[in-house]
Amino acid sequence: MAANETLTTVSVDLDGFVAAATAAVATVEVIERSSSALRDAILRVAGGANRILFAPPQDLPAELFAEFARDPRVRNDPTPDEMVNSPAGVTEAFAGVAGTGSVCVDVGYQKTGMASLLAPLHIAVVAAETIVPQPRDLFREDVLGGKGLARSFVFLTGPSATADMGPLVRGVHGPHRLHIVVLR
Amino acid sequence: MAAPANPVDITPRQVANKSDKQALRDALRMTLDVQSAAIRRNTQTFNRNRYTAIARIADYDAMKDRARRIKENAIANLPALLQQLEASVHANGGHFFLAKTAADANNYIRDVLVQHEVKLVVKGKSITTEETRLNHSLEVVGIKVAESDLAEFILQVADEQPSHIIAPALHYSRERITALFKRKFQTDLPLDTGEELTRSAREILRQQFIAADAGISGANLIAADSGSLMLVESEGNIRMTTTLPPLHIAIAGIEKVVPSRKDFQSFIELLPASATGQPLTSYVSILQPPLTALPFVAPGKTAKPREFHLVLVDNGRSTMREDPILHEALYCIRCSACLNVCANFETVGGHAFGGETYSGGIGGSWEAGTGTLMNARFSELCTGCSRCVPQCPVRIDIPWLNQNLRQRMNEADGNSAVKSLFGSLTGSAPEDRVAPLQKQFFANYHTVGKLGTDFPSLANGSTHMPMARQVMENVFGVDQRRELPPFPAKTWEQLFRDERPPTKAATISPGVAMLADTFTNYGTPERGMAAVRVLRAIGVDVVLTPSIPDGRAAMSQGMIATAREQARAMAAMLQPFLRSGRKIIVVEPSVLAMLRFDNKHLLDDPAPIAALASGSFEPLQALWDIAQETSVDLAKLFPAAKSRFGTRLFYHSHCQQRTCNAASQTIDVLRAAGFDVATSSVECCGMAGSFGYKTDYYELSMAVGADLFAQVQQAEQEGGPRVLVASGISCHEQLVAGMGRIVMHPAEVLASTL
Repeated sequence: MAANETLTTVSVDLDGFVAAATAAVATVEVIERSSSALRDAILRVAGGANRILFAPPQDLPAELFAEFARDPRVRNDPTPDEMVNSPAGVTEAFAGVAGTGSVCVDVGYQKTGMASLLAPLHIAVVAAETIVPQPRDLFREDVLGGKGLARSFVFLTGPSATADMGPLVRGVHGPHRLHIVVLR
Repeated sequence: MAAPANPVDITPRQVANKSDKQALRDALRMTLDVQSAAIRRNTQTFNRNRYTAIARIADYDAMKDRARRIKENAIANLPALLQQLEASVHANGGHFFLAKTAADANNYIRDVLVQHEVKLVVKGKSITTEETRLNHSLEVVGIKVAESDLAEFILQVADEQPSHIIAPALHYSRERITALFKRKFQTDLPLDTGEELTRSAREILRQQFIAADAGISGANLIAADSGSLMLVESEGNIRMTTTLPPLHIAIAGIEKVVPSRKDFQSFIELLPASATGQPLTSYVSILQPPLTALPFVAPGKTAKPREFHLVLVDNGRSTMREDPILHEALYCIRCSACLNVCANFETVGGHAFGGETYSGGIGGSWEAGTGTLMNARFSELCTGCSRCVPQCPVRIDIPWLNQNLRQRMNEADGNSAVKSLFGSLTGSAPEDRVAPLQKQFFANYHTVGKLGTDFPSLANGSTHMPMARQVMENVFGVDQRRELPPFPAKTWEQLFRDERPPTKAATISPGVAMLADTFTNYGTPERGMAAVRVLRAIGVDVVLTPSIPDGRAAMSQGMIATAREQARAMAAMLQPFLRSGRKIIVVEPSVLAMLRFDNKHLLDDPAPIAALASGSFEPLQALWDIAQETSVDLAKLFPAAKSRFGTRLFYHSHCQQRTCNAASQTIDVLRAAGFDVATSSVECCGMAGSFGYKTDYYELSMAVGADLFAQVQQAEQEGGPRVLVASGISCHEQLVAGMGRIVMHPAEVLASTL
């Protein structure tokens, strides 16, 4: 097990991930793994929001989000009206993809799907060691314990976009902005 | 016959069904007049981006092989996979329905929605529901359907069929969308930029997502082992459709089923790269519905448990599966690479090069398979240029499918005494004498060419007589606006015999056999002779083969029996040359492509197929290879400064030459010799063999050529005049027609330095 973990850590291409995510017009910040650092990182980006949707994590430890969750604007059980009328949503991502700068969000788990979809700004929190080289790696039993074979999830690569109205427009039905917080 | 409508008055729906040839003519006029600029811009952007994206995939070819194998096996085992999938969907708690026909699928979905008292359903993009015309069958029972993909939204507002498989409204410019929305929505809101249009559509649709009682999506892939769906998009509407409403219905063709979610590995990168040229689109959903997460409950509504229905549509696919040719179309993953790389599609899009639902090169097989054969008439716009073949992520030989559709349509055209007599005189195989006269005329160019060069003054005189041209147009559909190339006084075979043998003995042995292909032998023998001279100049022993037909012209007209006879004779004729160790050199790239890859459809024995494929070369490709092997200094052998054409060239390689990977070497040779070479980046010149000569397609051919002509002009504006150089005979004719200037073969340019 220890050998495996070492291997995974060594093979994570964090620089590649940041470059690819940036190329896909996401914004990325890499931070130390602490509850206060995470709170600060989220609030720096969602600072002006009067309300922040929050889908509590299932993979990352809940304590990491503890300080953020104490912010009075955070809603982890929003009303339907709050769900569709909040400026920001925060979820964890159980995987990242270095080659494409994508993050993978489990949409079969509680309200993670909606919290990552309905607000104009989505902030996804991903642990560096879960960044895999390519999208195809999510469909392997030996990667991330086979989560990608078992879950309902979405690869998110940058904000929603369309070219159907002529020029390329970012921000359609899904979030207009994707911010990724990577936990070192 | 009614007077032809003004192109701008023709609506796309009126000309969607092309079983009447007039619909195809009208559709061409409408698209060229109204849609062409937007289609060009959008498809050519996809095309450029795809080349960039696939170059970044390290194991692109291996990935294509894996994808192909998965699809081959999945279609072969489809009945068992469907059973397994049904069990998986049930185990997940979902419902499964296999619809034999489009109506069965529509009725099932309508009944589910009625049973749930659904008033409003949001749809993600589903081309399969365009095929079944689902919206209509829901609207008649009072269910409101909100198309949420912005392109489908535009089409719903405009009441049009898709023009493109992944970007259904790419024929709309921003300006035309603005005009459409202003007309239909009677709004004073600003709608003059992409952002403003998107915002207005988003606001309309956001309300629908929230209010909808059900969502209908398609699926890009479905895994039998788990009932997993893969859904690829960028706007977020498919996520909304599958995440928010409690009732989710996914509808897809049965061919979307693969054995396992693990198989998504081989498609998740290949599909977006081949489609829009993105590493991944914004959202790729991997769902195993019904989702366990709670659905959205709109204010004032009561919570309902999630429910999922998977509706798989057969609608002719099982028959396609049994079809020895059309079953290949079931491998299609609907990426649109074949549309975006196709010069004709880039110019007119799917409202002309398409039917009621499916479009482009692959679309003919789909319209024939899910409709009737004559629905595939638009597949006439496939010129067989072959540019789609290397781009297809599952390696479907799309021109071959279209040539077979053409053969079937020829048969459906029926027999007549005139066709039969004409066919027997010109060389059609007995089975192919049902083909229309135009097709038999172009297919038997060898016979025409032989007659023309036997009596050149008579033949050349008559091709300039207006009455003769009128007869040719009326009987064979040869457009009078095309200058017909004159027949030469002597064939290549005669010139070769007359040529003084080289003074120096050949140093490279066993040398080459140059194929006296029909087009060079009877059309442009001087190009052939130039190739002989440059190969001799580098020390190669050159012999010329007899000139016999190669099957290319017949194949392009769907006269496959004739092509088969000719390919067999050609293989037998070339066999002794190959056995003696000679390389086969082919001047005309479309004939080279016969030997390289089309023969595999026509010959039975794998040994000669492989020998011809690996033993045949384009002349400058052979020259480059020899120069590399022998370290010959091309700058000394062919000093550009000595050329009477000057040193500045504009080179356009031939579509099939590029597919054979036999184009870049020409540029290498010319540059090594010291020429300054600008190149075209168009996929095809638009002439494409006989295509541009046909009256019905003359305007399209010239519109395609316009891109090439513009590139020449651009290159010359930037640095002065250049001599036009082209490797293919059709490209040559098209450039002469479009630029009104002489055009040289690269071998002629090199020979001019000797």
